[in-house]
Amino acid sequence: MNLRRHLLEAATLFLLAILCALVANALASRERKLALVGSYPDALKVPGAEATAPAPLASAGGATPSSKLPFEEKHPGPAAGSAPKATEPPRGSEARNFSFSPGDLLKRFPPHNKPYVEISGDDAAWLVAHGALVLDARRTKDYVAGHIAGARSFPVWESDIDARVTALVGEGRDGAIPVVLYCSGGDCEDSHMLAQKLYGAGFNDLLVYRDGWPDWVRRGGKSATGPES
Amino acid sequence: MTPKEALASPWLTVRVQIALGLLFVAAALPKLVDPPSFAHMIYNYRLVPGALVNLMALVMPWLELLAGLALILGIWTRASAGIVGALLLVFLAAISLNLARGNAIDCGCFDVASANRTVDERLSDMRLDVLRDLGMALMVAQILRTKGRGPAPSPA
Repeated sequence: MNLRRHLLEAATLFLLAILCALVANALASRERKLALVGSYPDALKVPGAEATAPAPLASAGGATPSSKLPFEEKHPGPAAGSAPKATEPPRGSEARNFSFSPGDLLKRFPPHNKPYVEISGDDAAWLVAHGALVLDARRTKDYVAGHIAGARSFPVWESDIDARVTALVGEGRDGAIPVVLYCSGGDCEDSHMLAQKLYGAGFNDLLVYRDGWPDWVRRGGKSATGPES
Repeated sequence: MTPKEALASPWLTVRVQIALGLLFVAAALPKLVDPPSFAHMIYNYRLVPGALVNLMALVMPWLELLAGLALILGIWTRASAGIVGALLLVFLAAISLNLARGNAIDCGCFDVASANRTVDERLSDMRLDVLRDLGMALMVAQILRTKGRGPAPSPA
């Protein structure tokens, strides 16, 4: 009889915890909220080069990156397993001396048909200097504290990440143009996880800046603070 | 009073209850303040399917808080000690499994901010976490053992 009463009390505490969690999450701000069902691909599991890009998400505007450019025909990818290498890379401090040139970007970093390829700080600096889209996968508070100048905030651990990805797809960007992703370097996997999400949405030339924000600061790259404008 | 009697004394049990309750309330607060960071910590353990990570990150801190408060206030003591014990077993298993496979992670037990530490430092902290959780499991055992006893038999 006692055991039954204790089990009932434990079940009540458990149900109360679920109720409190749901109410607190419903009232939480965007940065603290979580989607009830998480979607977290294995960030470091990269399918083989023979794997093809998954079907893109349906976008808000109906346009999809892959519909604008047949990747394989116009920009054949590099040999399997070969990461793009930059030659004569500029340092971060000379960023923004170039105008956006998709041709230059594609020549140096053609689509690779993998969820991501890791790049060095020199490669990232070259890409930033040539106007590549840069996405910051860290939490909003970290982005506000400091980010690569021109980077957009895509915090993978916040509730609206899938909406942000869908909105990016809806912009009708060319999925074959290189996109740089970064987080906090070291063993941070947030940028890899964001790459998996974007790959699933049809982006095909995702370049993870492996050493991320600490390296960018160390090399004196152009940075900015404050929320996304 | 023998050591066995001292260990089972109500005086000690009340203090163990309050101490354990305070520890669990302290552990719950940072997780309640920043659920996404706690979800990240749970993901790092590589034990929970992605679909369940967020639900765990949302519910577990509330369970810790409610069970901790119940222990402090002396309400539903056996049930809340049972919940705390079950949580500790889960934590012990999760940390031990990751220690066994050499996956150095931040515990996420009392703090959800990622610390910039080396692999060796993290592994060393994980061993200490196991010892700490074992200590708390002993506290749970003391409460359950004492509270599990019926009323003392009246002298004939």
